[in-house]
Amino acid sequence: MSSSPSTATYHLFLLSPLDFPIYSTTLPSSRFPAPPPPSSAPSSSSAFAAYSSTAFSHHPSSSTSSLPSLAAFASPPAASAFGGMVQALVGGGSSSRLPEGETPTGVSGGTEDARRRTERHVPEMIAHAALDALEQAQFLSGAMYHKSIDCFNEWTVSAFITPGNIRFILLHEVKNDDGIRLFFAEVWETYLKHLLNPFYQLNSPITSAAFDARVRASAKKHL
Amino acid sequence: MSIRTPAQLKSLGDDLWKNRPEKLNAELFILTYGALVVQLYKDFEDYGEVNKKLDKMGYNIGTRLIEDFLACTPSVARCADFRETGEVIAKVGFKSFLNIAPSVTHVSPTEFVLTLDENPLAEFAELPEDAVQGGLWFSNVLVGVLRGALEMIQIAATAEFISDTLRGDEATEIRVKLVRYLEEEAPEADE
Repeated sequence: MSSSPSTATYHLFLLSPLDFPIYSTTLPSSRFPAPPPPSSAPSSSSAFAAYSSTAFSHHPSSSTSSLPSLAAFASPPAASAFGGMVQALVGGGSSSRLPEGETPTGVSGGTEDARRRTERHVPEMIAHAALDALEQAQFLSGAMYHKSIDCFNEWTVSAFITPGNIRFILLHEVKNDDGIRLFFAEVWETYLKHLLNPFYQLNSPITSAAFDARVRASAKKHL
Repeated sequence: MSIRTPAQLKSLGDDLWKNRPEKLNAELFILTYGALVVQLYKDFEDYGEVNKKLDKMGYNIGTRLIEDFLACTPSVARCADFRETGEVIAKVGFKSFLNIAPSVTHVSPTEFVLTLDENPLAEFAELPEDAVQGGLWFSNVLVGVLRGALEMIQIAATAEFISDTLRGDEATEIRVKLVRYLEEEAPEADE
């Protein structure tokens, strides 16, 4: 990311039993500084290549070498080359083949948008990908709190499963098991109180500002 | 010994609450009431209708509740005026049934306003946007109870919510206005 935040961030997703997200938010950490960005651009871009290869059927996954070269073209960090790729994806079917070297500049106004879109989609994708690992762990142990069930680049995924099979997925960069466990417990309590609202329909998206405020306060306390 | 002063009324209310034998779990009560309101909305799809139905339900409750209340409070003297009625309602009535003590503001000899600091019926509820705009008074059953109870003791009165913290207002207030004192006549037919 061109502007890396000064504190670590967390992504929280609440998923209903039908894997439908009912709440998601991004929380800044009040304790931990941002970890150093991924050191080797090739390794992160190879992960991104794996992602993009599912999107681009004509980008065989073996051509990871094409990405560093693309990054070399654009010369900004790998993330924005990826962002440029997504923009090319989104920008229209005709541009499904990457214009060499033009990617960020050719869609200059859109790159910011693309980066933001990328930033929104990647955590969601990571969270959903972790669900498989979570379900396996879920049936092996009856515990509610599952720590570090999956990782993706710098993101580790921890989860909490309520007795009603609502999944809380937290993406975090830093290790903070106790804090995360306490945070999950508080989010659980907040969720329970929200359930008591007679107007809230079960498994529907949570839009209450009070819920959001409480989650952020818990995050500030524990994360 | 007849109880008249506000302090006496207050302690009577506290005693009644403490000595009431069957108390109900608050969460169960709140959840039941909340489910009731939501179901009414699903059935009628109009918040004005929901308000009316809650009022009617409250009226039915109030006409019966007053008997229980008067039976438990033989020591409270007949109220000399509407002012005293308001005091008794707030300090003894609400206290003994809901364990809350609203404050009374006497606007005029025939009107008083009850201000509820806490409303147990709406403890967990959060009104959705269309409920606020549709004019739902979540605890409207209370105004019906007041109207029904007063009618059984020959006081025709109107009761209505004027503000509700659930709707974003500063406080939760019910205005009770005296219409007239009734001569002995048949009560309004239950619907």
